[in-house]
Amino acid sequence: MDFRFNEEQEELRSIARSFLEEHSGSEQIRKAMESELGFDPALWEQLGGELGWPSVHIPEEYGGLGLGYVELVALLEITGGALLCAPFFSSVCLGANALLSAASEEQKAEHLPGIAEGQTRATLAYTSPTGCPDASGIEVTASRSGDGFVLQGEYGFVLDGHSADLLVVAARSSGTHGEDGVSLFALPGDSAGLTRRVLPTVDQTRKLAVLELADVHLPQSALLGQEGAGWPALRKTLQLAAIALAAEQLGGAQKCLDMSVEYAKERIQFGRPIGSFQAIKHKCADMMVAVESARSAVYYAACVAAEDGDELAVCASLAQAYCSDTYFRCAADAIQIHGGVGFTWEYDVHLYFKRAKSSESFLGDPAYHRELVAREIGL
Amino acid sequence: MKVMVCLKQVPHQDARLDVAADGSWIQEDNIKFEINSYDTYALEEALRAKDAGEAEVVVVSIGPDRVTQALRTALGMGADRAVHVKDPEADASDSLGKAKILAAIAKQEEPDVIYCGLMADDGNFSAIPPMLAELAGMPSATGVISSEASDTSITVRRELEGGCREVVELPRPCLLAIQTGANQVRYASLKGIMQAKKKPVDVKTAADLGVGEQVGAGAAKVKINKIYIPPKSDQAELLEGSTDEIVTQLVGKIRELGVL
Repeated sequence: MDFRFNEEQEELRSIARSFLEEHSGSEQIRKAMESELGFDPALWEQLGGELGWPSVHIPEEYGGLGLGYVELVALLEITGGALLCAPFFSSVCLGANALLSAASEEQKAEHLPGIAEGQTRATLAYTSPTGCPDASGIEVTASRSGDGFVLQGEYGFVLDGHSADLLVVAARSSGTHGEDGVSLFALPGDSAGLTRRVLPTVDQTRKLAVLELADVHLPQSALLGQEGAGWPALRKTLQLAAIALAAEQLGGAQKCLDMSVEYAKERIQFGRPIGSFQAIKHKCADMMVAVESARSAVYYAACVAAEDGDELAVCASLAQAYCSDTYFRCAADAIQIHGGVGFTWEYDVHLYFKRAKSSESFLGDPAYHRELVAREIGL
Repeated sequence: MKVMVCLKQVPHQDARLDVAADGSWIQEDNIKFEINSYDTYALEEALRAKDAGEAEVVVVSIGPDRVTQALRTALGMGADRAVHVKDPEADASDSLGKAKILAAIAKQEEPDVIYCGLMADDGNFSAIPPMLAELAGMPSATGVISSEASDTSITVRRELEGGCREVVELPRPCLLAIQTGANQVRYASLKGIMQAKKKPVDVKTAADLGVGEQVGAGAAKVKINKIYIPPKSDQAELLEGSTDEIVTQLVGKIRELGVL
């Protein structure tokens, strides 16, 4: 097993880094945070149309490039480090992955080309406003109505849910519990009966929304896979998303380390750079040890995802738990190293701290993922 | 139409540069390289010519193995094929030697237009474009900020001193040395990056091009004697007082130096 990126993957990362240095700097991030959409549509158009990022792991037969999860992870590490404000994660890692896991060939052919081109912005909605990350959090109900279904209920914490064109939603049949009775549907963003509301959140680099479904009618053709048998596909989608999120967290943690080291070299106190003090040195060294360990977990998980390996569940949760801890710890330490200016609005460190905090709980917190790891190893 | 673009790989703008122990050049170990910024604008201008019609874009570079990365980047951006002159002796050439190598490639490729960057970020000589034009027997324009091709000629706008512009028409084949900021340089798409590995890179030596005897350190007319970082001066003197007092003191200092 070779953990080095090949020439093309390195080139992909290098170009992504250059592009985001120019288009996802502090000023652009703050502008996107203040906007209602949460991203710059022109930037998204460039990412989709010119650069082709959303097509990265979508198979060629559905208009994608057909690259693997390793390439996607390679890209996400860079986007996470740049705090990219764009519906890339929601559309590619949630929406597209859900369709790839659950949809029929016909449904994939209908929806995936648009996602690959960036024309369709997709996302995934599954948990209720309680935020419970497992199957018990699915509370929206799907009832049979004529030839189709009627969906009723509320989703919470839907990433880019306020603006997505296509929502892959999970709903359960009345009277079912846990992993039973879960179905997945493709719900157009302009469906009658769907109300979307942006949530005020601590991390404004990522917009979350509440979706209210009041008698939303869907045709039979909107059902992805078998009625009531959608949990395995949803679980796989969430495992793939956990690896993707871990890659972003890795990039963010690395950026916190880089910013800290740079600042520790520049900031003079008592006549010398603060990086020469043991307390700062050790903190930075601990950050690096954690970041490199996180990198190993993410890259291995990406290889497993690329090969659709049996270890997907354990590797996804392992990477997610470790990267959540690492990112939050690195962001918190970065603020400490920056001292008083660390939590001022002008410095970017607080943006990473907030992203670290929101990512930590977005797909289940580290304790939840450790519980999943424990289950996977038979405990 | 065939277009040839000359690319130079130079140290990355953020690279920390240290002088080599023998003072002959910078230490190249463990630093990142990138395409010379002027050349990226030249490449973009060529790719726009390709976008506007039928054109084959051939990128050319001289240098060691690492230059392959620059060529792959250019291929990822849309160039069709590459020629890599990989020859340690050729690397040691002066500007004239490198212009002779590029002229030999131009002779083989017979391009309708050669695009170069106006100068290189590292050497700042601005020497190769006019030398190459002369050796290739082509008319040339430097400081080009835009170009528009017709069937037989190219009309370019040139940047002159004092904010002036000049419009020049050149018959093809010709050489254009492009100024930075002439266009918005594109990024390679994912598709482009993946396609780049399938595009041909022709590796040659100076001898293959028939100019082995005319290039290299032995044939160089310009030799770098020494690379050094200027010593920091500690002779700064702060003038104090009101503005009028400072001006009076400053004029006095200038007179002392005999400038006034």
